[in-house]
Amino acid sequence: MIESYLPQASTFAGDIDWLFSMVFWIVGAWFLVCSGVFFWLVFKFRVPNGSQATAEYITGEEKSQKRWVTIPHLLVLFCDVFIIYGAVKVWYDVKQYLPPPDQEIQIIAQQWAWTFVHPGADQKFDTADDIHTVNELRLQEDAVYHYHLSSNDVMHDFSVPVFRLKQDAIPGRVITGWFTPTESGEFDIQCAEICGIGHGLMPARLVVEDAAAHTAWLAERSPVKLAAVTSPVVEN
Amino acid sequence: MIRTPKIALIAFVISCMFIVAPVSAEDEHARGRQLYALCAQCHGQNGAGAQLFLAPAIAGLDQWYVQSQFLLFQSGVRGLNWQDVGGLRMHPMSQWVKGDADVAAVSAYVASLPRVNPPPQVVGGNAETGKALYSTCASCHGVDGKGNEAMNAPPLIHASDWYLVSSLEKYKAGIRGSNPKNTNAIIMRGMSNLLPNDQAIKDVVAYITTMNNEGN
Repeated sequence: MIESYLPQASTFAGDIDWLFSMVFWIVGAWFLVCSGVFFWLVFKFRVPNGSQATAEYITGEEKSQKRWVTIPHLLVLFCDVFIIYGAVKVWYDVKQYLPPPDQEIQIIAQQWAWTFVHPGADQKFDTADDIHTVNELRLQEDAVYHYHLSSNDVMHDFSVPVFRLKQDAIPGRVITGWFTPTESGEFDIQCAEICGIGHGLMPARLVVEDAAAHTAWLAERSPVKLAAVTSPVVEN
Repeated sequence: MIRTPKIALIAFVISCMFIVAPVSAEDEHARGRQLYALCAQCHGQNGAGAQLFLAPAIAGLDQWYVQSQFLLFQSGVRGLNWQDVGGLRMHPMSQWVKGDADVAAVSAYVASLPRVNPPPQVVGGNAETGKALYSTCASCHGVDGKGNEAMNAPPLIHASDWYLVSSLEKYKAGIRGSNPKNTNAIIMRGMSNLLPNDQAIKDVVAYITTMNNEGN
Protein backbone atom coordinates (compact mmCIF):
# COMPACT_ATOMS: atom_id res chain seq x y z
CA MET A 1 0.00 0.00 0.00
CA ILE A 2 2.61 2.54 1.13
CA GLU A 3 5.12 1.48 -1.53
CA SER A 4 2.77 2.69 -4.25
CA TYR A 5 3.33 6.22 -2.91
CA LEU A 6 6.94 5.94 -1.72
CA PRO A 7 9.41 3.35 -3.09
CA GLN A 8 10.94 0.79 -0.79
CA ALA A 9 14.69 1.17 -1.37
CA SER A 10 16.24 -0.73 1.53
CA THR A 11 16.06 -4.30 2.75
CA PHE A 12 14.08 -3.37 5.84
CA ALA A 13 11.73 -0.84 4.22
CA GLY A 14 9.22 -3.63 3.60
CA ASP A 15 9.32 -4.69 7.26
CA ILE A 16 8.61 -1.14 8.41
CA ASP A 17 5.73 -0.85 5.95
CA TRP A 18 4.36 -4.21 7.06
CA LEU A 19 4.38 -3.08 10.70
CA PHE A 20 2.83 0.25 9.79
CA SER A 21 0.14 -1.46 7.74
CA MET A 22 -0.64 -3.97 10.48
CA VAL A 23 -1.14 -1.17 13.03
CA PHE A 24 -3.18 0.78 10.50
CA TRP A 25 -5.58 -2.10 9.74
CA ILE A 26 -5.99 -3.17 13.36
CA VAL A 27 -6.62 0.36 14.60
CA GLY A 28 -8.73 1.12 11.53
CA ALA A 29 -10.89 -1.96 12.10
CA TRP A 30 -11.39 -1.03 15.74
CA PHE A 31 -12.29 2.51 14.73
CA LEU A 32 -14.98 1.24 12.38
CA VAL A 33 -16.34 -1.26 14.95
CA CYS A 34 -16.42 1.36 17.72
CA SER A 35 -18.05 3.94 15.48
CA GLY A 36 -20.63 1.36 14.33
CA VAL A 37 -21.47 0.29 17.88
CA PHE A 38 -21.64 3.87 19.05
CA PHE A 39 -24.09 4.93 16.34
CA TRP A 40 -26.08 1.70 16.74
CA LEU A 41 -26.49 2.39 20.48
CA VAL A 42 -27.46 6.00 19.79
CA PHE A 43 -30.09 4.82 17.33
CA LYS A 44 -31.34 1.90 19.42
CA PHE A 45 -31.78 3.84 22.64
CA ARG A 46 -33.04 7.07 21.19
CA VAL A 47 -36.00 8.69 22.94
CA PRO A 48 -39.19 8.17 20.89
CA ASN A 49 -41.14 11.24 19.86
CA GLY A 50 -43.56 12.34 22.56
CA SER A 51 -41.96 10.20 25.27
CA GLN A 52 -41.50 11.68 28.75
CA ALA A 53 -38.63 9.32 29.55
CA THR A 54 -35.45 10.84 30.96
CA ALA A 55 -31.89 9.62 30.64
CA GLU A 56 -30.74 7.15 33.29
CA TYR A 57 -27.32 7.45 34.90
CA ILE A 58 -25.37 4.21 34.54
CA THR A 59 -22.70 3.40 37.11
CA GLY A 60 -21.27 0.56 35.00
CA GLU A 61 -21.20 -1.88 37.93
CA GLU A 62 -23.72 -4.38 36.54
CA LYS A 63 -22.24 -7.48 34.94
CA SER A 64 -24.14 -6.84 31.69
CA GLN A 65 -22.71 -3.32 31.60
CA LYS A 66 -19.13 -4.30 32.49
CA ARG A 67 -19.06 -6.66 29.53
CA TRP A 68 -19.05 -3.63 27.22
CA VAL A 69 -15.68 -2.69 28.68
CA THR A 70 -14.00 -5.96 29.53
CA ILE A 71 -14.63 -7.84 26.29
CA PRO A 72 -13.32 -5.08 23.99
CA HIS A 73 -10.47 -4.54 26.44
CA LEU A 74 -9.41 -8.17 26.17
CA LEU A 75 -9.77 -8.10 22.41
CA VAL A 76 -7.60 -4.98 22.21
CA LEU A 77 -4.98 -6.63 24.41
CA PHE A 78 -5.10 -9.63 22.09
CA CYS A 79 -4.39 -7.33 19.15
CA ASP A 80 -1.60 -5.67 21.11
CA VAL A 81 0.23 -8.98 21.27
CA PHE A 82 0.57 -8.95 17.48
CA ILE A 83 1.60 -5.29 17.41
CA ILE A 84 4.18 -5.68 20.17
CA TYR A 85 5.59 -8.84 18.62
CA GLY A 86 5.88 -7.15 15.23
CA ALA A 87 7.34 -3.94 16.69
CA VAL A 88 9.99 -5.71 18.76
CA LYS A 89 10.97 -7.93 15.84
CA VAL A 90 11.32 -5.00 13.44
CA TRP A 91 13.11 -2.87 16.05
CA TYR A 92 15.60 -5.65 16.64
CA ASP A 93 16.19 -6.27 12.93
CA VAL A 94 16.59 -2.58 12.06
CA LYS A 95 18.11 -0.97 15.12
CA GLN A 96 19.85 -3.62 17.18
CA TYR A 97 21.07 -6.30 14.79
CA LEU A 98 24.18 -5.31 12.83
CA PRO A 99 24.90 -7.53 9.82
CA PRO A 100 28.56 -7.66 8.74
CA PRO A 101 29.27 -4.60 6.57
CA ASP A 102 30.50 -4.42 3.02
CA GLN A 103 31.24 -0.72 3.40
CA GLU A 104 31.17 1.97 6.05
CA ILE A 105 30.38 5.68 5.96
CA GLN A 106 30.44 8.54 8.40
CA ILE A 107 27.50 10.91 8.50
CA ILE A 108 28.10 14.26 10.16
CA ALA A 109 25.16 16.54 10.80
CA GLN A 110 25.53 20.23 11.49
CA GLN A 111 23.43 23.36 11.23
CA TRP A 112 22.40 23.12 8.33
CA ALA A 113 24.19 20.62 6.18
CA TRP A 114 25.11 16.96 5.94
CA THR A 115 28.69 15.83 5.42
CA PHE A 116 29.26 12.27 4.24
CA VAL A 117 32.64 10.60 4.52
CA HIS A 118 33.68 7.53 2.55
CA PRO A 119 36.84 5.87 3.86
CA GLY A 120 38.45 5.63 0.42
CA ALA A 121 40.55 2.83 -0.97
CA ASP A 122 42.26 1.98 2.33
CA GLN A 123 38.86 1.47 4.00
CA LYS A 124 40.03 3.51 6.99
CA PHE A 125 38.64 6.80 8.22
CA ASP A 126 40.71 9.87 9.02
CA THR A 127 43.27 9.13 6.36
CA ALA A 128 44.34 11.16 3.35
CA ASP A 129 42.15 9.27 0.90
CA ASP A 130 38.87 9.94 2.70
CA ILE A 131 36.20 11.27 0.35
CA HIS A 132 34.03 14.07 1.73
CA THR A 133 30.80 15.15 0.13
CA VAL A 134 28.37 17.80 1.30
CA ASN A 135 24.64 17.25 0.91
CA GLU A 136 25.13 14.30 -1.44
CA LEU A 137 25.36 10.69 -0.33
CA ARG A 138 26.41 8.13 -2.91
CA LEU A 139 25.87 4.47 -2.14
CA GLN A 140 26.31 1.17 -3.88
CA GLU A 141 23.24 -0.88 -4.56
CA ASP A 142 22.93 -4.13 -2.58
CA ALA A 143 25.95 -3.38 -0.37
CA VAL A 144 25.53 -3.60 3.40
CA TYR A 145 26.52 -0.27 4.93
CA HIS A 146 27.36 0.57 8.49
CA TYR A 147 26.85 4.26 9.14
CA HIS A 148 28.41 6.22 12.00
CA LEU A 149 26.20 9.20 12.70
CA SER A 150 27.32 12.21 14.73
CA SER A 151 26.39 15.85 15.19
CA ASN A 152 28.68 18.86 15.33
CA ASP A 153 26.27 21.07 17.21
CA VAL A 154 22.64 20.35 18.13
CA MET A 155 20.29 17.40 17.70
CA HIS A 156 19.44 16.42 14.15
CA ASP A 157 17.74 13.39 12.64
CA PHE A 158 19.02 11.50 9.64
CA SER A 159 15.89 10.60 7.73
CA VAL A 160 15.78 8.70 4.45
CA PRO A 161 12.11 8.14 3.62
CA VAL A 162 12.71 5.53 0.90
CA PHE A 163 14.83 3.51 3.34
CA ARG A 164 12.14 4.00 6.05
CA LEU A 165 15.08 5.06 8.21
CA LYS A 166 15.09 7.75 10.87
CA GLN A 167 17.90 8.08 13.36
CA ASP A 168 18.57 10.94 15.75
CA ALA A 169 22.04 12.48 15.71
CA ILE A 170 23.01 13.48 19.23
CA PRO A 171 25.92 15.81 20.04
CA GLY A 172 28.71 13.93 21.78
CA ARG A 173 27.64 10.52 20.55
CA VAL A 174 28.52 8.45 17.51
CA ILE A 175 25.57 6.24 16.66
CA THR A 176 26.18 3.21 14.49
CA GLY A 177 23.46 1.63 12.39
CA TRP A 178 23.05 -0.12 9.08
CA PHE A 179 21.12 -0.26 5.85
CA THR A 180 21.31 -1.96 2.49
CA PRO A 181 20.14 0.04 -0.52
CA THR A 182 18.14 -2.13 -2.90
CA GLU A 183 17.04 0.25 -5.60
CA SER A 184 19.17 2.53 -7.73
CA GLY A 185 18.08 6.10 -8.33
CA GLU A 186 18.00 9.50 -6.68
CA PHE A 187 16.11 10.00 -3.45
CA ASP A 188 15.63 12.54 -0.67
CA ILE A 189 17.44 12.86 2.62
CA GLN A 190 16.02 15.21 5.21
CA CYS A 191 16.55 16.36 8.75
CA ALA A 192 13.63 15.19 10.88
CA GLU A 193 14.51 17.01 14.09
CA ILE A 194 13.96 20.75 14.47
CA CYS A 195 17.52 22.04 14.61
CA GLY A 196 17.32 25.79 14.28
CA ILE A 197 16.13 28.42 11.89
CA GLY A 198 17.68 26.72 8.85
CA HIS A 199 16.13 23.31 9.60
CA GLY A 200 13.81 23.53 6.62
CA LEU A 201 16.77 24.07 4.31
CA MET A 202 18.71 21.00 5.32
CA PRO A 203 17.92 18.52 2.59
CA ALA A 204 20.43 16.30 0.86
CA ARG A 205 20.36 13.94 -2.08
CA LEU A 206 20.86 10.20 -1.98
CA VAL A 207 22.24 8.57 -5.11
CA VAL A 208 22.16 4.78 -5.24
CA GLU A 209 24.10 3.29 -8.14
CA ASP A 210 25.36 -0.09 -9.29
CA ALA A 211 28.77 -1.40 -8.26
CA ALA A 212 30.58 -0.37 -11.44
CA ALA A 213 29.29 3.20 -11.38
CA HIS A 214 29.99 3.52 -7.67
CA THR A 215 33.54 2.23 -8.00
CA ALA A 216 34.16 4.66 -10.83
CA TRP A 217 32.80 7.52 -8.73
CA LEU A 218 34.99 6.59 -5.76
CA ALA A 219 38.05 6.48 -8.00
CA GLU A 220 37.19 9.81 -9.55
CA ARG A 221 36.59 11.55 -6.22
CA SER A 222 39.47 10.02 -4.31
CA PRO A 223 41.85 12.79 -3.24
CA VAL A 224 44.71 10.31 -3.28
CA LYS A 225 45.37 7.92 -6.12
CA LEU A 226 45.17 4.26 -5.29
CA ALA A 227 48.82 3.72 -6.13
CA ALA A 228 49.90 6.38 -3.67
CA VAL A 229 47.84 4.82 -0.90
CA THR A 230 49.22 1.35 -1.41
CA SER A 231 52.84 2.46 -1.71
CA PRO A 232 55.03 2.31 1.40
CA VAL A 233 54.66 5.37 3.63
CA VAL A 234 57.85 6.99 4.78
CA GLU A 235 57.68 7.96 8.43
CA ASN A 236 59.15 11.33 9.32
CA MET B 1 -17.15 40.66 -33.17
CA ILE B 2 -17.23 40.41 -29.40
CA ARG B 3 -14.33 38.03 -29.09
CA THR B 4 -11.70 40.47 -30.38
CA PRO B 5 -12.23 43.13 -27.67
CA LYS B 6 -12.26 40.37 -25.03
CA ILE B 7 -8.95 38.97 -26.22
CA ALA B 8 -7.51 42.47 -26.36
CA LEU B 9 -8.69 43.12 -22.81
CA ILE B 10 -7.17 39.87 -21.52
CA ALA B 11 -3.92 40.63 -23.34
CA PHE B 12 -3.89 44.12 -21.80
CA VAL B 13 -4.46 42.75 -18.28
CA ILE B 14 -1.76 40.11 -18.69
CA SER B 15 0.74 42.64 -20.03
CA CYS B 16 -0.01 44.89 -17.05
CA MET B 17 1.06 42.03 -14.80
CA PHE B 18 4.53 42.16 -16.30
CA ILE B 19 4.99 45.86 -15.82
CA VAL B 20 7.47 46.30 -13.01
CA ALA B 21 6.95 49.44 -11.05
CA PRO B 22 10.15 51.36 -10.41
CA VAL B 23 11.44 50.66 -6.92
CA SER B 24 12.22 53.73 -4.86
CA ALA B 25 15.11 53.86 -2.43
CA GLU B 26 12.61 53.92 0.44
CA ASP B 27 10.89 50.81 -0.88
CA GLU B 28 14.21 49.02 -1.25
CA HIS B 29 15.26 50.00 2.26
CA ALA B 30 11.96 48.78 3.69
CA ARG B 31 12.24 45.54 1.76
CA GLY B 32 15.84 45.10 2.90
CA ARG B 33 14.86 45.66 6.52
CA GLN B 34 12.06 43.13 6.15
CA LEU B 35 14.42 40.52 4.70
CA TYR B 36 17.10 41.28 7.26
CA ALA B 37 14.83 40.01 10.05
CA LEU B 38 16.00 36.53 9.12
CA CYS B 39 19.69 37.50 9.06
CA ALA B 40 19.23 39.12 12.46
CA GLN B 41 18.59 35.70 13.99
CA CYS B 42 22.35 35.10 13.90
CA HIS B 43 23.99 38.40 12.95
CA GLY B 44 21.93 40.43 15.42
CA GLN B 45 19.51 43.30 14.91
CA ASN B 46 22.40 45.78 14.68
CA GLY B 47 24.59 43.47 12.61
CA ALA B 48 27.20 43.17 15.34
CA GLY B 49 27.45 39.40 14.87
CA ALA B 50 27.68 36.62 17.44
CA GLN B 51 30.56 34.20 17.70
CA LEU B 52 28.28 31.62 19.32
CA PHE B 53 26.44 31.34 16.00
CA LEU B 54 29.62 31.75 13.92
CA ALA B 55 28.03 34.92 12.56
CA PRO B 56 30.48 37.78 12.01
CA ALA B 57 29.76 41.48 12.28
CA ILE B 58 28.37 42.72 8.99
CA ALA B 59 26.98 46.14 9.90
CA GLY B 60 28.12 48.83 7.50
CA LEU B 61 30.02 46.51 5.17
CA ASP B 62 30.18 47.82 1.61
CA GLN B 63 27.12 46.81 -0.38
CA TRP B 64 29.17 45.46 -3.29
CA TYR B 65 30.94 43.07 -0.94
CA VAL B 66 27.82 41.87 0.90
CA GLN B 67 26.04 41.32 -2.39
CA SER B 68 28.94 39.49 -4.01
CA GLN B 69 29.39 37.15 -1.04
CA PHE B 70 25.66 36.57 -0.82
CA LEU B 71 25.59 35.44 -4.43
CA LEU B 72 28.63 33.22 -3.88
CA PHE B 73 26.88 31.57 -0.94
CA GLN B 74 23.68 31.14 -2.94
CA SER B 75 25.45 29.48 -5.84
CA GLY B 76 27.46 27.23 -3.54
CA VAL B 77 30.78 28.61 -4.78
CA ARG B 78 31.33 29.60 -1.15
CA GLY B 79 30.04 27.70 1.87
CA LEU B 80 30.04 24.12 0.65
CA ASN B 81 33.42 23.00 1.90
CA TRP B 82 32.82 20.30 4.49
CA GLN B 83 35.25 21.95 6.93
CA ASP B 84 33.70 25.41 6.62
CA VAL B 85 31.24 25.09 9.48
CA GLY B 86 30.09 28.70 9.34
CA GLY B 87 29.84 28.66 5.56
CA LEU B 88 27.72 25.52 5.66
CA ARG B 89 25.25 27.48 7.78
CA MET B 90 25.26 30.51 5.55
CA HIS B 91 24.81 28.55 2.31
CA PRO B 92 21.28 27.32 3.11
CA MET B 93 20.31 30.59 4.80
CA SER B 94 21.22 32.51 1.65
CA GLN B 95 18.67 30.40 -0.22
CA TRP B 96 15.85 32.15 1.64
CA VAL B 97 16.37 35.33 -0.35
CA LYS B 98 15.07 34.92 -3.89
CA GLY B 99 15.87 37.13 -6.84
CA ASP B 100 18.51 39.73 -7.58
CA ALA B 101 16.31 42.60 -6.40
CA ASP B 102 15.90 41.12 -2.93
CA VAL B 103 19.60 40.27 -2.68
CA ALA B 104 20.41 43.87 -3.59
CA ALA B 105 17.84 45.18 -1.10
CA VAL B 106 19.12 43.17 1.85
CA SER B 107 22.73 43.95 0.92
CA ALA B 108 21.93 47.66 0.79
CA TYR B 109 20.21 47.43 4.16
CA VAL B 110 23.25 45.73 5.71
CA ALA B 111 25.46 48.45 4.24
CA SER B 112 23.18 51.11 5.74
CA LEU B 113 23.52 49.77 9.29
CA PRO B 114 25.78 51.91 11.49
CA ARG B 115 29.21 50.38 11.91
CA VAL B 116 29.98 48.66 15.18
CA ASN B 117 33.13 47.84 17.06
CA PRO B 118 32.71 44.17 17.92
CA PRO B 119 34.11 43.32 21.35
CA PRO B 120 37.56 41.72 21.08
CA GLN B 121 37.54 37.94 21.46
CA VAL B 122 41.02 37.00 20.33
CA VAL B 123 43.83 37.26 22.85
CA GLY B 124 47.57 36.99 22.44
CA GLY B 125 48.01 39.16 19.35
CA ASN B 126 50.78 41.76 19.17
CA ALA B 127 49.61 44.82 17.24
CA GLU B 128 53.14 46.18 16.85
CA THR B 129 54.31 43.01 15.13
CA GLY B 130 51.06 42.91 13.21
CA LYS B 131 51.60 46.40 11.81
CA ALA B 132 54.63 45.23 9.88
CA LEU B 133 52.78 42.17 8.64
CA TYR B 134 49.83 44.29 7.56
CA SER B 135 51.92 46.11 4.98
CA THR B 136 51.23 43.24 2.57
CA CYS B 137 47.48 43.39 3.22
CA ALA B 138 47.49 47.16 2.78
CA SER B 139 48.26 46.90 -0.91
CA CYS B 140 44.70 45.67 -1.53
CA HIS B 141 42.72 46.41 1.64
CA GLY B 142 44.23 49.89 2.05
CA VAL B 143 46.49 51.34 4.71
CA ASP B 144 43.40 52.31 6.68
CA GLY B 145 41.74 48.89 6.25
CA LYS B 146 38.75 50.38 4.50
CA GLY B 147 39.00 48.07 1.53
CA ASN B 148 39.09 48.78 -2.18
CA GLU B 149 36.28 47.75 -4.48
CA ALA B 150 38.52 48.08 -7.53
CA MET B 151 40.71 45.34 -6.05
CA ASN B 152 37.72 43.31 -4.80
CA ALA B 153 39.16 43.77 -1.34
CA PRO B 154 36.56 44.19 1.41
CA PRO B 155 36.97 46.48 4.41
CA LEU B 156 38.66 44.81 7.37
CA ILE B 157 38.03 47.40 10.05
CA HIS B 158 34.95 46.89 12.24
CA ALA B 159 35.08 43.17 11.49
CA SER B 160 34.85 40.56 14.25
CA ASP B 161 38.42 39.69 15.20
CA TRP B 162 37.58 36.00 15.65
CA TYR B 163 36.15 35.99 12.13
CA LEU B 164 39.30 37.51 10.66
CA VAL B 165 41.39 34.89 12.44
CA SER B 166 39.17 32.00 11.35
CA SER B 167 39.05 33.32 7.76
CA LEU B 168 42.83 33.51 7.55
CA GLU B 169 43.09 30.03 9.02
CA LYS B 170 40.59 28.74 6.47
CA TYR B 171 42.47 30.37 3.61
CA LYS B 172 45.76 28.89 4.77
CA ALA B 173 44.20 25.43 5.09
CA GLY B 174 42.54 25.68 1.68
CA ILE B 175 39.07 25.48 3.21
CA ARG B 176 38.43 28.78 1.48
CA GLY B 177 40.10 29.70 -1.77
CA SER B 178 40.06 26.24 -3.34
CA ASN B 179 37.08 26.69 -5.62
CA PRO B 180 38.31 27.65 -9.11
CA LYS B 181 35.13 29.70 -9.63
CA ASN B 182 36.12 32.08 -6.83
CA THR B 183 39.22 33.80 -8.15
CA ASN B 184 39.32 36.48 -5.47
CA ALA B 185 39.40 33.82 -2.78
CA ILE B 186 42.17 32.01 -4.62
CA ILE B 187 44.23 35.20 -4.57
CA MET B 188 43.51 35.63 -0.88
CA ARG B 189 44.53 32.05 -0.20
CA GLY B 190 47.91 32.75 -1.74
CA MET B 191 48.31 35.94 0.28
CA SER B 192 47.38 34.20 3.53
CA ASN B 193 50.33 31.89 3.11
CA LEU B 194 52.60 34.88 3.62
CA LEU B 195 51.60 34.71 7.27
CA PRO B 196 53.91 32.00 8.58
CA ASN B 197 51.97 30.76 11.62
CA ASP B 198 49.01 31.18 13.99
CA GLN B 199 50.81 33.87 15.98
CA ALA B 200 51.31 35.95 12.87
CA ILE B 201 47.59 35.69 12.14
CA LYS B 202 46.75 36.91 15.64
CA ASP B 203 49.27 39.73 15.36
CA VAL B 204 47.95 41.08 12.09
CA VAL B 205 44.35 40.86 13.32
CA ALA B 206 45.36 42.67 16.51
CA TYR B 207 46.72 45.48 14.37
CA ILE B 208 43.59 45.63 12.19
CA THR B 209 41.38 46.05 15.27
CA THR B 210 43.46 49.03 16.41
CA MET B 211 42.34 50.86 13.26
CA ASN B 212 38.67 50.66 14.30
CA ASN B 213 38.99 53.68 16.55
CA GLU B 214 41.29 55.83 14.45
CA GLY B 215 38.55 58.02 13.09
CA ASN B 216 37.38 55.27 10.73
